[in-house]
Amino acid sequence: MGSGFEIRGSEWPRISPRTPNPLASGYPEPRTAFAELLLTLADDEFVLGFWDSEWTGIAPMLEEDVAFSSLAQDEIGHARVLYELLAELIGDTADHIAYGRQPAEYRHARLMDHPRTDWAFSIARRFLYDTADAARLAVLAHSLDAPLAGIVGKIRREETYHRMHMEAWMQRLAAAGGAAHERLSNALETLWPDALTIFTALDGEEELLNVGILPEPLLGIQQHWLGAIAPLLQSLALPFPFRESGSGHYAPTFPLTMDSGRTAHSDDFRWLWNEFTMVYRAEPGAEW
Amino acid sequence: MEVYEVFRQEREGEPMRHAGNVLAPDRELATHYAREFYSRRQESIRLWVVPRAAIEQVDDPDLLQPPLDRSFKKPAGYVIKDKLDAARVRGRMP
Repeated sequence: MGSGFEIRGSEWPRISPRTPNPLASGYPEPRTAFAELLLTLADDEFVLGFWDSEWTGIAPMLEEDVAFSSLAQDEIGHARVLYELLAELIGDTADHIAYGRQPAEYRHARLMDHPRTDWAFSIARRFLYDTADAARLAVLAHSLDAPLAGIVGKIRREETYHRMHMEAWMQRLAAAGGAAHERLSNALETLWPDALTIFTALDGEEELLNVGILPEPLLGIQQHWLGAIAPLLQSLALPFPFRESGSGHYAPTFPLTMDSGRTAHSDDFRWLWNEFTMVYRAEPGAEW
Repeated sequence: MEVYEVFRQEREGEPMRHAGNVLAPDRELATHYAREFYSRRQESIRLWVVPRAAIEQVDDPDLLQPPLDRSFKKPAGYVIKDKLDAARVRGRMP
């Protein structure tokens, strides 16, 4: 991933946004925008974790079944620590945020609105997500919100293995040619527009940038991400539908979706929501 | 697909012990699966992942279980208890 993500040095002082930030003039109250940021991060991990857990018992081979289910569990674990941070911020509980919302209240990117589909599709989605998340986490590791930066540091260490494993699968499916390469290509073609919604600008993003909670705009992080994965996809003859301008800026060659991609969710997601909230809804407020 | 034997070390300084094995299409995925099966819960600090084909097996009973009496090669017949007691007295050890 290289040093392209190292936007601001780690020597920057760690200042919690809960106390006035002397670096910002006229300290705004970024609580709502911060809550929105945490919710998008957590929901992305949470929903992907549940989709990928759908492979438990039916992955292509036993070893991969255990490995892929373990990755799915990791994502739900990452969502948990992020929900806990959010719960502290807004005075709620992690369980209630995770399971107590209606489908329309989830803020995951549209990439996570697709069902499990076939193996190549799940690998393509996880590759796009893990690499995009890596770019996002590399920037958030320098957040001036110390608790968030701390959590992100730990999540990044676990994501290293996720990326290794996804790259291994991308290389093998692409190198196998035939139906494997074709399915992987088709999945990427389908997923590219929705993958970009991971970096849709947040409501109130400007405030988060002003106080250093978000050290760089999401659309800027998107460019780091595209630059990081372009060489691999191009070397595997897989779809990378972007034009690179002279200044290293990648512009999509397909029409962008007009909405944020994080609000109107699919019937597939509503089915998944029904599955993962079933137990919670059976006895709301129960102590586990 | 090939079988890979996995050895794991729990703490620095401890021996590598056989943990089990994984089935994998190549060495790289074998290391990934070894990690998933034998250290995803922080139970190891080091793994060795070895293709089973790289292991030389010795199981010839003529080599390992020679049929004639070998008791003269064992230390059991050599009683050192009295010598050890005498040495302790000389060294005034408890």
